[in-house]
Amino acid sequence: MPRLHLGAWVDSGVDFLQRHLTWLFDAISALVTGLYDGIDAVLSAPHPLLFAGILAVGAWWLRGLLAGLLAFAGLALIDSVDLWSDAMSTLSLVLVATLVTLVIAIPLGIWASRSDRVSAVLRPVLDFMQTMPAMVYLIPGIIFFGVGVVPGIIATIIFSLPPGVRMTELGIRQVDSDLVEAADAFGTTPRDTLVRVQLPLALPTIMAGINQVIMLGLSMVVIAGMVGGGGLGGAVYRAIGNVDIGLGFEAGISIVILAMYLDRMTGALGRHVSPLGRRALAKARSAATGAAKVWNHRPQPAYAVSGAVVLALVAGGLNTFAADDETGPAGAANIGKGRTVSVGYIPWDEGIASTFLWKELLERRGFKVDARQLEAGALYTGLAGGQLDFQTDAWLPVTHAQYWEKYGNKLEDLGSWYGPTSLELSVPSYMKDVRSLADLKGKSAQFKGRIIGIEPSAGAMSILKDKVLKEYGLEGEYQVVDGSTPGMLAELKRAYDKKEPVLAVLWSPHWAYSSYELTKLEDPKGAWGKGDGIHTLARKGFAADEPEVAEWLRSFKLTEEQLTGLEAKIQEIGKGKEQEAVRAWLTDHPEIDKLA
Amino acid sequence: MSTLQAEHVYKVFGRRPADAVRALESGSGRDELRADGTTAAVIDASFSVEPGQIFVVMGLSGSGKSTLLRMLNGLLEPTAGRILFDGQDLTALSARELRRVRSTKISMVFQHFALFPHRNVLENAAYGLEVQGVDRAERERRAAEALALCGLEGWEKSWPDELSGGMQQRVGLARALATDADLLLMDESFSALDPLIRRDMQDQLLELQRRLKKTIVFITHDLNEAMRLGDGIAVMRDGRIVQQGTAEDILIRPADEYVASFIQDVDRSRVLTADAVMDVPDADAYACDCPTVSTDTPLADLCAVSARVPHPVAVTGGDGAVVGCVPQDRLIAFIGDEQRPPMACAEVAA
Repeated sequence: MPRLHLGAWVDSGVDFLQRHLTWLFDAISALVTGLYDGIDAVLSAPHPLLFAGILAVGAWWLRGLLAGLLAFAGLALIDSVDLWSDAMSTLSLVLVATLVTLVIAIPLGIWASRSDRVSAVLRPVLDFMQTMPAMVYLIPGIIFFGVGVVPGIIATIIFSLPPGVRMTELGIRQVDSDLVEAADAFGTTPRDTLVRVQLPLALPTIMAGINQVIMLGLSMVVIAGMVGGGGLGGAVYRAIGNVDIGLGFEAGISIVILAMYLDRMTGALGRHVSPLGRRALAKARSAATGAAKVWNHRPQPAYAVSGAVVLALVAGGLNTFAADDETGPAGAANIGKGRTVSVGYIPWDEGIASTFLWKELLERRGFKVDARQLEAGALYTGLAGGQLDFQTDAWLPVTHAQYWEKYGNKLEDLGSWYGPTSLELSVPSYMKDVRSLADLKGKSAQFKGRIIGIEPSAGAMSILKDKVLKEYGLEGEYQVVDGSTPGMLAELKRAYDKKEPVLAVLWSPHWAYSSYELTKLEDPKGAWGKGDGIHTLARKGFAADEPEVAEWLRSFKLTEEQLTGLEAKIQEIGKGKEQEAVRAWLTDHPEIDKLA
Repeated sequence: MSTLQAEHVYKVFGRRPADAVRALESGSGRDELRADGTTAAVIDASFSVEPGQIFVVMGLSGSGKSTLLRMLNGLLEPTAGRILFDGQDLTALSARELRRVRSTKISMVFQHFALFPHRNVLENAAYGLEVQGVDRAERERRAAEALALCGLEGWEKSWPDELSGGMQQRVGLARALATDADLLLMDESFSALDPLIRRDMQDQLLELQRRLKKTIVFITHDLNEAMRLGDGIAVMRDGRIVQQGTAEDILIRPADEYVASFIQDVDRSRVLTADAVMDVPDADAYACDCPTVSTDTPLADLCAVSARVPHPVAVTGGDGAVVGCVPQDRLIAFIGDEQRPPMACAEVAA
């Protein structure tokens, strides 16, 4: 069987598109970003509880009093766990994705319903879109559209388009052919047949499709969070990265609440807009008696709309009065003059700590800082593409060698601010007879022959498989389990709590060492190589654009004590308040503020 | 008033339909074509319907009658032949012109009613007018009139699924009548109804026909229905019209075995009328004051008179003059399926 160089063709295809269609991608990106920003601004403007009230009135109108009360309770819960603005970002993302999806899917579905050929061509394309794993096109998405919400929205559109198209096609094809013939027999034009007969009768199915589109969109927000989409997806991604089960649950339940609200509302809306559904509703309402009447009472649309408008006005008003408490730095300190610097970070503790430290430092000097949480691949792609200005969490020369190799010529190294780091295998300290890599020989039965690994793409994994195991003659005896960092940390926690033997890939600095008592296995043969330094990397040309900032970053250094202290402070003050923690920490460490 | 004419109409489904028509014209059979995967649904159909007539096309399922009907209003395009209506060749019209003809001149009533479930009764009846672009007040007034004509006054705000089958079909009929089309195409319109309701609907259609003088093409597989409604009847078999004529023509002179086997179950005493069986007038017949019958009296009623009259019953025309007489033996012979005169005993035995 000859090797087809499918991957190489796709690579060169992506290069070609990037070179020649930049204007198109920029236009799409601008359009989607504009839509997103607009919707997000509207949704985030009102006070959370007032906006929850507006949404609850909507639920009352569409589904009844109980639904309204439950909606309010659910949305208030999101606010009470401090995830309201994340939830609104997610809602905006889903709404934009749904809007764009429907604009594409419904006409496509109509077209497919009228032509068997179109339908036959579309089917495999839709299958492809629905089943191709999202991560596969997310990275090219970043190359084309840059990090941020756009690739997330595009990925969501690609994933949720198929049910929109399919349900529209199905709905129209399901309309009784007798009715279409009857319309034809009375001289109806094909267009009018569509508008007067097929679409009204297909509406319940189409609405079910819209519902699916929204639900699939919500299921993609976590993946969008990995490429800088932010919102609840970002919170979930951050939580799983830190095995923060509590935050993970809070963000997860918020997604569920949003999903249920949107699901029930679109379902009810389907009944309200379809002529047949409206009839069924009216019948049910006239049949209701007594207490059921109160529960089933719906405000008239006019009352519902005016109620929502009044709430919205109050909300907007409050916001107007409450706004503008931001104060820029005074006088000489204002070097940034409002210029924006965008920083990307992997949600690792030292990344979060250093990024928010720099966010605070730069804001004190008049810059606007846009900090985005990203998956490592996305981070490097975004930096190389110039959508990000710098990042502070590059482990070089070892761990991130592969990224450096690929993107190094498009990046500027602003030096290491912490080091050395180390990669290692670790065991719980209660395993007293294992101290060194050499001690592992012949003990594989204890560990069931497994080394709990992380992402197979991580530098530590290839060093472990290619060098460390060989050096210590552990090949064949131990199996390295590919997985993920959160998976490894979860397994470590599980085993640690039950005092079971466990052997895991870890690195320093890592918060696990302060949470658990672990032994870093000694490496007398030096197989892991020398440690990394944690570097600050900037996009090509950043130092020329912002020489002062680049100079500050170059002179940036933290000791282990400072870094762990900062990380601990962030852990203590709690998630979502990183910058507050940084401010508190800076009052005790004024010397760092003088750096920049 | 306008005449509807079909001239050598063919409809062939499948590949290369034109070749199939040529093959059929040169005498190939339907089965030979089927072997190639082409289906000849209608073969060489020609007929003419006079204004104000009810023309019934009768045949079993698969005989091509529904296909034929759909070519009359251009829902299907004939593979060959012409359809002429109101002086226009429908096969030569563009799609847009054809839609105009369908919306104003030809309307249709369906077997399974095909009412729009998302529209109430009034909106359904007004559908054709809506397509024509008639303004709302006007079309609701005309639709309400058409509904009243079909006995549905007071049901305007109901929904189709709240009505019985018979009432639904009345809505279908009202929808077809509301556009004031001259030609009504009815595709097995009463077949889905209960026998009693069906009879009611037939009566009502005949009544409406007398008042409105529409031209109607009616498709059915039920010969009794065909005989009851049809001024002219065409019997179809395997895509061809095998016999055309009045109910009596078909009953008395079936063209072939197929038609003959069909008419076996027909209640002849209700279909055949005095003028079909009467003989030349007999001098005795009108010398007395015995009751007489008119030419359109069914044989069933003629029997009652014949039983009381001691001689052949006199048949009178529209002006009251005697135009013929029906002897008892002849009457009996026609109610049975023999159309021969009485024979000698020896001949009967043989």
